Amino acid sequence: MEVEGQATQPPKFALPVDSENKATVFRLFSVAAPHMRAFHLSWVSFFACFVSTFAAPPLLPIIRDNLNLTASDIGNAGIASVSGAVFARVAMGTACDLFGPRLASASLILLTAPAVYFTSIASSSTSFLLARFFTGFSLASFVSTQFWMSSMFSAPVVGTANGVAGGWGNLGGGATQLIMPLVFALILNIGAVKFTAWRIAFFIPALFQTLSAFAVLIFGKDLPDGNFRRLQKSGDKTKDKVSNVFFHGISNYRGWILALTYGYCFGVELTIDNIVAEYFYDRFDLKLHTAGMIAASFGLANIVSRPGGGMLSDAVAKRFGMRGRLWALWIVQTLGGVFCIILGRVGSLGASVAVMIVFSIFVQAACGLTFGVVPFVSRRSLGLISGMTGGGGNVGAVLTQLIFFKGSKYSKETGMTFMGVMIICCTLPVCLIYFPQWGGMFCGPSSKSATEEDYYLSEWTSEEKEKGLHLASLKFADNSRRERGRKQDSETKPVDETPSTHV
Amino acid sequence: MAARDLLLASLVLSCSLLPCYGVVLFSSLQRTLVVTASPAPGQVLKGGVDKITVTWGLNQTLPAGTDSAYKTVKVKLCYAPVSQADRGWRKTQDNMKKDKTCPYKIVARPYNSANKTSQSVEWTVQRDVPTATYFVRVYAFNADENEVAYGQTTDAHKTTTLLQVEAISGRHKTMDVCSICFSAFSVLSLAGFFYIEKRKGKRSQ
Repeated sequence: MEVEGQATQPPKFALPVDSENKATVFRLFSVAAPHMRAFHLSWVSFFACFVSTFAAPPLLPIIRDNLNLTASDIGNAGIASVSGAVFARVAMGTACDLFGPRLASASLILLTAPAVYFTSIASSSTSFLLARFFTGFSLASFVSTQFWMSSMFSAPVVGTANGVAGGWGNLGGGATQLIMPLVFALILNIGAVKFTAWRIAFFIPALFQTLSAFAVLIFGKDLPDGNFRRLQKSGDKTKDKVSNVFFHGISNYRGWILALTYGYCFGVELTIDNIVAEYFYDRFDLKLHTAGMIAASFGLANIVSRPGGGMLSDAVAKRFGMRGRLWALWIVQTLGGVFCIILGRVGSLGASVAVMIVFSIFVQAACGLTFGVVPFVSRRSLGLISGMTGGGGNVGAVLTQLIFFKGSKYSKETGMTFMGVMIICCTLPVCLIYFPQWGGMFCGPSSKSATEEDYYLSEWTSEEKEKGLHLASLKFADNSRRERGRKQDSETKPVDETPSTHV
Repeated sequence: MAARDLLLASLVLSCSLLPCYGVVLFSSLQRTLVVTASPAPGQVLKGGVDKITVTWGLNQTLPAGTDSAYKTVKVKLCYAPVSQADRGWRKTQDNMKKDKTCPYKIVARPYNSANKTSQSVEWTVQRDVPTATYFVRVYAFNADENEVAYGQTTDAHKTTTLLQVEAISGRHKTMDVCSICFSAFSVLSLAGFFYIEKRKGKRSQ
């Protein structure tokens, strides 16, 4: 339980915590405030955003007739649905750094809910595209999810927390392929005609989105110690300048590499969410709800695959540290590319479904593995790096749909094969990521005995250090020593828990 | 010799079995029926409201007995090429099982061989027929339920005498009002929350 407003008495938490009051364990079935409650609020609200963003694809066979859409219109709307979040995710990262994940995510979700309501009254390809475009902005809530988890959970479990929250949110992309055809069928049964039923069906994701945002605002807390605003006013949390956060984020090359590689695991996932229902419906002549069920199984794999990726990241980090995390990421994502190529080549329904499920597991695990690395790239600009990586995911989705899945140039099967090749190529840059204190895929840590403190404190100038703005980064550096892996960890001398350096 | 005879026999047998396995090609069908539809050129039919009358009959210039195999007819509404452009899900394929040109059934009836010249049906354009350009085609089926002949309102290139349908939008005023109200509620409640947060922040100081 938390003791309110007394700085002298350390607050008590239901879960064991580290020096930053971040939980060191992850208990899935607990809703204890603030850690696990934040987890459940963030994944549910993110899930709602995914449901809304991908509510249209399973109903496209009806919508395309009602709005007289061509294949190009559908492709453009698909691209629009994931392009809004490119910049929204970067902006969201900065917003989280400045205002806290609770307000940032709830604001975004409530401001994009109107787009979902307005999808119900779309009457042309243009209005449909605009509705999907603005709805897609809500996917930026991914960044607040990851930021929130990185603020609530400590290094040993941050990969798992990020993976489960991200994965269960992404689940929405699969669940919606089941939910929307079901809701549609229900409304059809009540007596509406097809062209009205799909419109009414859209109110369900819209309402869900609105209610989840309310829950976040009412029950959520930014940090274990409280909300940003109150902590900022009482001086417990320092306010940082946008320009500094921005500079330290974009000047870190690792952020850019992860943005690219994330485009080819998460971006691919978004692309498949957009095209797979129509692919099965048209290629294998299935009924709408059958195609929806198969399409759903792609996104539903997220229930275990992305969290699995996060847990794998944490598990290899225990033994091999950051180097293990990077290797695991590269291997899993490359295999995802291989299975994507195979998916484009198989011709029977059974084989397609089987390959698609294996493909989904690898691609989603790669997403989880990526966010096992992201929390360590920067401490000062954690939000921005999360945003850049997340935004990069959407850029990947935009590019892939633009090149391979727009109009009638390539059949969907051919597009998938090419997409697989692109995944393999764009995953290679992981080899270039290098941390001086931990090493990279092919090189060990720098022989100049670089430390975690050196790396994280290099983001602060000496004037800022004098003002004590860097203390949070110092705590984090200490807690991140585990990323050296078991062999190295036993060789380093134990460091004092209290930060002793005040220049 | 015996082997060659066996091969020939099996080929003949498999060819005669082919129609039974349903691989009917559109290009193999003969255009023996004459079909007309009531709408005037340029008339736009409203979904759920307007009616069309389709009349079909055997082409009288053909020799007698051409229609001896016809048992049933199906009258269908088909997409014209202009409505198939850039829409792979409406593609015309020669294999009748895979062909997606004619998705809407107007009526299925036994073929009336007594009244060869004109059989007709009056049909209200259904509410789930999308906005597009169409023509009407009538397929004649034999006793094995395979297509054997057809007729259509348009020419071979499917460019003349086409029908325009304007579908219902599916929107209702109630829906419009609900959308707007709920959207406004979402945005206003956010503003409300911010206001409450600000008040709380001021109070804790």
